[in-house]
Amino acid sequence: MNARKSAHTSAVLTLAAALAATGCDKSITSSEPLPALTPAGVDAGAGTWKMLVLTGPTQIAVPPPSPVSASDYQAELTQIKDAQRNLTPEQRAAIDYWSGGGVLRWNQILREMVARFNLPPAPRDNGTYPAPDAENPFGDPQFPFSNPPYAARAYAYVSVAQFEALKSAWAYKFQYNRPSPSKVDSGIQALMPTGDLPAYPSEDAVLSGVTAEMMKLLFPAAVEEITLKAAEQRNAAFWSGKASPSDITAGLALGKAVAVVFTARAATDGMRAAVGTKAQWDAFAANAAAKGEQPWTSLDSPPRPPMLPFFGNVKAWTLTPADIVAERPGPPPSTSSAQMRQELAEVKSYSDNATREQVAIANKWADGAGTYTPPGHWNDIAAEHIRDARWSEVRTARAFALLNMSLHDAAVGCWETKYFYFNPRPTTLDSSAKTAIGVPNFPAYTSGHSTFSGASAAVLEYLFPAHSADFEAMMNEASISRLYGSIHYRSDIEIGKDHGKRIAGYTIKFAREDGAH
Amino acid sequence: MCAGDVAAPARVASTSIAVEVPSAGGTPLANGPPMTKRLLGAAGLLLCAAPLRAQTIDDGILLSKKTLCAGVVYGHNSWTEYWEGTLKRENGNVGTVTTSTVAGMATYGLTGRLNLLATLPFVSTHASGGTLQGQDGLQDLTLAAKFQAFSVAGDRLRGYVVGTYAVPVSDYVPDLFPLSLGMASQRLSGRGTLSLRAGKGWFAGATAAYTWRDNVTLDRPAYFTDGQLFLTDQVQMPNTFQYAVNVGYGRGRLSVPVTYTQQNTLGGGDIRRQDAPFISNRMNFKVLDALVMYHLPKLDGLALRAQAAYVIDGRNVGQSTTVLAGLMYTVHF
Repeated sequence: MNARKSAHTSAVLTLAAALAATGCDKSITSSEPLPALTPAGVDAGAGTWKMLVLTGPTQIAVPPPSPVSASDYQAELTQIKDAQRNLTPEQRAAIDYWSGGGVLRWNQILREMVARFNLPPAPRDNGTYPAPDAENPFGDPQFPFSNPPYAARAYAYVSVAQFEALKSAWAYKFQYNRPSPSKVDSGIQALMPTGDLPAYPSEDAVLSGVTAEMMKLLFPAAVEEITLKAAEQRNAAFWSGKASPSDITAGLALGKAVAVVFTARAATDGMRAAVGTKAQWDAFAANAAAKGEQPWTSLDSPPRPPMLPFFGNVKAWTLTPADIVAERPGPPPSTSSAQMRQELAEVKSYSDNATREQVAIANKWADGAGTYTPPGHWNDIAAEHIRDARWSEVRTARAFALLNMSLHDAAVGCWETKYFYFNPRPTTLDSSAKTAIGVPNFPAYTSGHSTFSGASAAVLEYLFPAHSADFEAMMNEASISRLYGSIHYRSDIEIGKDHGKRIAGYTIKFAREDGAH
Repeated sequence: MCAGDVAAPARVASTSIAVEVPSAGGTPLANGPPMTKRLLGAAGLLLCAAPLRAQTIDDGILLSKKTLCAGVVYGHNSWTEYWEGTLKRENGNVGTVTTSTVAGMATYGLTGRLNLLATLPFVSTHASGGTLQGQDGLQDLTLAAKFQAFSVAGDRLRGYVVGTYAVPVSDYVPDLFPLSLGMASQRLSGRGTLSLRAGKGWFAGATAAYTWRDNVTLDRPAYFTDGQLFLTDQVQMPNTFQYAVNVGYGRGRLSVPVTYTQQNTLGGGDIRRQDAPFISNRMNFKVLDALVMYHLPKLDGLALRAQAAYVIDGRNVGQSTTVLAGLMYTVHF
């Protein structure tokens, strides 16, 4: 009896121990750690690389710094030494956080911002939807709704502004050639890698200024977090002995001045007219019906106005409006055609019989509401390659700028196409075609994912030719995932990919001629 | 020792209904699968045994040695309103979410003080609105060992400890709330239960459980929850705590316990405005539950059970109503 009792007790104790053991380590690791960045090269000539928006590297004047022998500069060095004597664990953590590269870190922050704001407005009780309002960004709905076109534009504005600001900074760095504080004074520790890059103006401060200003414009409700991050980046440069206060002041002023130029562009790029009016939305449907086509309708409940129907008119980076129209794919199969019936049947076959692996692919690339969007997914993919390339900040910014210009231009071209044809989703033509993932609230033809993926793969293949096969495979998987998820016809996908690659060709042409190639 | 064995008053006990914690979780928007499962855990196993001698992971009852109780329970759970964080609302993009469950269950009395329990449900989900495909498939296998730790006051008061392990047995999509089949997480649970026979057919009980939940692997490489972007497919699942109290009356072949259960998820974010629910959301709920159990007079070992449960308050879960019915058969070896 006693033996049995103890057997019971030990069984229970064993189970309890197992419970305790598994309760311990559930920590998860980001797939994108940013180790301290020691650039493989300084890109001393980046000040001469071709500009896109600025008229030239010295459009914004940066005054000459005091010589390193001057008393005001020497006083700054003393400030750094004082700060370094008393660094707190939080300050050291901030140095570590920012030493992985400012462009890469801001790209991560930007992706998080997009995911945070990528939620459509909730319907009112009467079945209508309020519009996000830039003048009331903290309300319900919050502003913005950073859907894929909004996000593509946001990634592009931040990336291109950073790229231009850094090219300008590089011009002044090598014009003035002021070393970093730790090189001037051996009493200052280099707690961040500095290499041989001149410190004036501080690239960290340039990035903090230009990025924060652009992000506050794009995500005004996140002003506090953005401001704190930017200040932390500048402080980290100071605490680490990488930049002196005057390096930082000059950099911040340059970054903010570049942001003013880009803010002016953003105010007039057509985004404000991208939503349109109900009369304009109704006209899309009427036009499609007049051509004998079944028009797109919203599958949201209650029906939601179409997503940014005039985003196709927003200014592109490397294509003119005439280029956008010239590159527009031909029409989709007519909604009454035999080919459309056949393509619809193929969608239905995936709705009924997709394998678990195909559903996993649909989920992997879904990138719907609440995520960093397909452009964000491609930034995610690019970030790991860019990090591993260990480029200078300015060349890193170039890579993201090329990718995101191309993604923005793909969004413009794709949206222009979608609303030109106003083609319905498969579930509209066959309500029994249930989907594995959410149906985006805009016309089907062509697939945004496929266009984004075609454009991204082309740019990344240009940047990292050794990995071309990987990018091609990802592009194909991302694109076909929309058929596996039963939300796109095959034509949307095949033609979308091709369209995206052609659009990326404009960006790549720029890249080959910008002086950095 | 089974049906009809009213003579063993010691077994007339509580039935804290419920809630087989590990599976619980409550579901976001849902209460769908998990909630159903949770009640099924109770339901099914409860059906076993003699009248008034239910047997679940969290009640105060044991099967006698070398007794096997097995059966099937059908559950139907649905909700239209849910809590988006703390905001109660409907959503036309899912309409009414219905979860149907057929669960196979078995309990075996290894000794007079130690029972082993197993449950395996087949779950199917359906949304009346929107375009999303309903899901179906085998959910999670739950295994439990229940040990009577003490018996005092002339066996009127008993205490039990229970260890439970649950593991998904199919590769269902973990990331399609509210239509996912379950929580997709391995779980370990420790539970303590008190069971009191008050006399004249009245009984009462209380139970509490803590559940450790293992990480979940999503199909996607990044997700946003609780104010943060995670660049990984791994999701940390917050643990859960649950307690329940019950009171009931039983006489002859009939037993009618009523149970109040509260389960809290110890972490996790709220569903954001107009966002879909996410697997690691802070899903909390309070459930009222009533069941009627009847042991058939002429069919030795067979018991019928009907149960209804209603979520009276919640957070990041659906306000669901669950109805369960089952048939269990007991054999002695």
